[in-house]
Amino acid sequence: MTDTTAAGALPADSADSAGGDPVLDITGLHRSFGSVQAVHDVSFHLARGGSLGIVGESGSGKTTTARIIVGLERADAGRVLVWGQDRSGPAGHGRSTRLERAREVQMVFQDPFLSLDPRVPVGGVLRETLRLHFPERRADHDRRVGELLDQVGLGAREAAALPRQLSGGQRQRVAIARALAVEPAVLALDEAVAALDVSVQAQILNLLGDIRRDTGIGYLFITHDLGVVRCVTDEVVVMRHGRIVEAGRTADVLADPQHAYTRLLLDSVPRPGWNPKLIAAARRAL
Amino acid sequence: MTTTPAKTPEFTLDVRGLRLQLPGAARPVLAGVDLTVGARETVALVGESGSGKSLTSRSVLRLLPPGATTEGTVAVQGEDVLTMDAKQLRRLRTHTAAMIFQDPRAAINPLRRVGDFLTESLRLNAGTPDADATERAVRMLEAVGLTDRVLRQYPGQLSGGMLQRVMIAAALMGDPALILADEPTTALDVTTQAEVVGLLDDLRERFGTGLLFVTHDLGLAAAISDRVYVMYAGRIAETGPAEALFEQPRHPYTAALLRSTPRLDAPAGRLAAIQGQPPSLREELTGCLFAARCPFATQVCTEDLPPHLPVPDEPSRLVACHHSDRLADQLAESALHD
Repeated sequence: MTDTTAAGALPADSADSAGGDPVLDITGLHRSFGSVQAVHDVSFHLARGGSLGIVGESGSGKTTTARIIVGLERADAGRVLVWGQDRSGPAGHGRSTRLERAREVQMVFQDPFLSLDPRVPVGGVLRETLRLHFPERRADHDRRVGELLDQVGLGAREAAALPRQLSGGQRQRVAIARALAVEPAVLALDEAVAALDVSVQAQILNLLGDIRRDTGIGYLFITHDLGVVRCVTDEVVVMRHGRIVEAGRTADVLADPQHAYTRLLLDSVPRPGWNPKLIAAARRAL
Repeated sequence: MTTTPAKTPEFTLDVRGLRLQLPGAARPVLAGVDLTVGARETVALVGESGSGKSLTSRSVLRLLPPGATTEGTVAVQGEDVLTMDAKQLRRLRTHTAAMIFQDPRAAINPLRRVGDFLTESLRLNAGTPDADATERAVRMLEAVGLTDRVLRQYPGQLSGGMLQRVMIAAALMGDPALILADEPTTALDVTTQAEVVGLLDDLRERFGTGLLFVTHDLGLAAAISDRVYVMYAGRIAETGPAEALFEQPRHPYTAALLRSTPRLDAPAGRLAAIQGQPPSLREELTGCLFAARCPFATQVCTEDLPPHLPVPDEPSRLVACHHSDRLADQLAESALHD
């Protein structure tokens, strides 16, 4: 691959510093719905084993960007490279190409209850995914199910349970285990911890940190929560009205935001001595 | 029931020893809650899901789950809500206390115009003439920063932030003494949240209402409230002035919750997660309900329910923990090392 420097949003050396080609290379994405430009000229890349946050409010285009990358949505223009392979546009209709796409980027959604079949026990969910993607390794599936459950901190009791018998945190662990089952290069987490209680959210964030350390998987973290971004990402892009307004290393962006909108987002995080009226005024001024 | 109108109660809301039992549960969902809100005071009730924080606030309007049995008193302006007859209850819900829910879209009929929604309660319950009710609706919309144009619009034509303003205007329609806000900003964007919170604060000051703010967000509770109650498994774990409580938590649950929140001003990296999960309602438990997850727990914690005791030298703070002093020592020590 020769074309990595074309992606301009992040410093060119950010991929190199982690060693080698970026796993995701996004260039000039555009997507309109009617007269609304949901995504406008979005470019960034995700280093191998890196973690990138996409921050923004509703309508910022962060979820549409993620859906284009996963192949759930098509781009009007622009390019998505995964491991240097062009993945722009939807996955197409061939079964094998769709499965191949699924093994590259997996998505975890906010509400695991909506993304799990209520009639299938947890062990069955994982076994079904393995059967679909790795039919040739059938003999190994039982061991692999145990390994995946172990990886997300669940045991035999949870393996036999139906989704409704689990807590929200446990269900999100199942959703993560299912995503990991296909051994993807990238996990796109769309507000994946937003619905969880603080104490459970901390468990899941720590778990995600451990999994990245152990497997070298890359994360695309779509969130509105700057505390979460600080906790689990190396780099961040801030989106507003479909455009990237600021991008860089998470620590730098949060410590010294350059764009007025990033500053507004930071000021909006409630803390003692917080002045909501100043924030409201700053929001109107922007 | 004889009421003496001349006597003004000390608190707008005074909950005492509230216990709430649900059919099929092994232990009470609310196990003796004491809580007060004064006029013009903002009080935050903080807890995770299942802690009983929403049930506590809903019991103030006697919006109880089917089959629930209660003990204790919930007095609004001195009158016990739990023993009111239907007429008194209607009066309470129209004029004395109002609730703002988390998701405005779920709390408003999408097929009816905003003006209809705003004036409904006054027209039907208080017999206010239409013109007067509409006039008040316009004034309340102005108070929340919207124009009378909204009256003719449908909920689907408004953004989430605007709709939550409509809900706040609706809450103000009956000129209530108390506003109950149950996670009113959780469904909103962070910058919109700031706007709605600022608005609530303004209105509380202007109309002299008491505000009970139910939230899972410790940072938000610290930012907006005068006093905070931290709730765990149906009991108040700790209460006190917001600032003191967050700087020097005296209950291990509060301390653990603060450490497990991803904050911008805390060190980056791994969070100090609380192990395990809150106890299920199917389990009957003795002693402190947090004991199973608490790093300070000893034998006494699993045997005796810790009473609510004042924190030494801080009479405005109460904590229900056998080992509050050990937590204080540990925090003091780690502060020395910083």
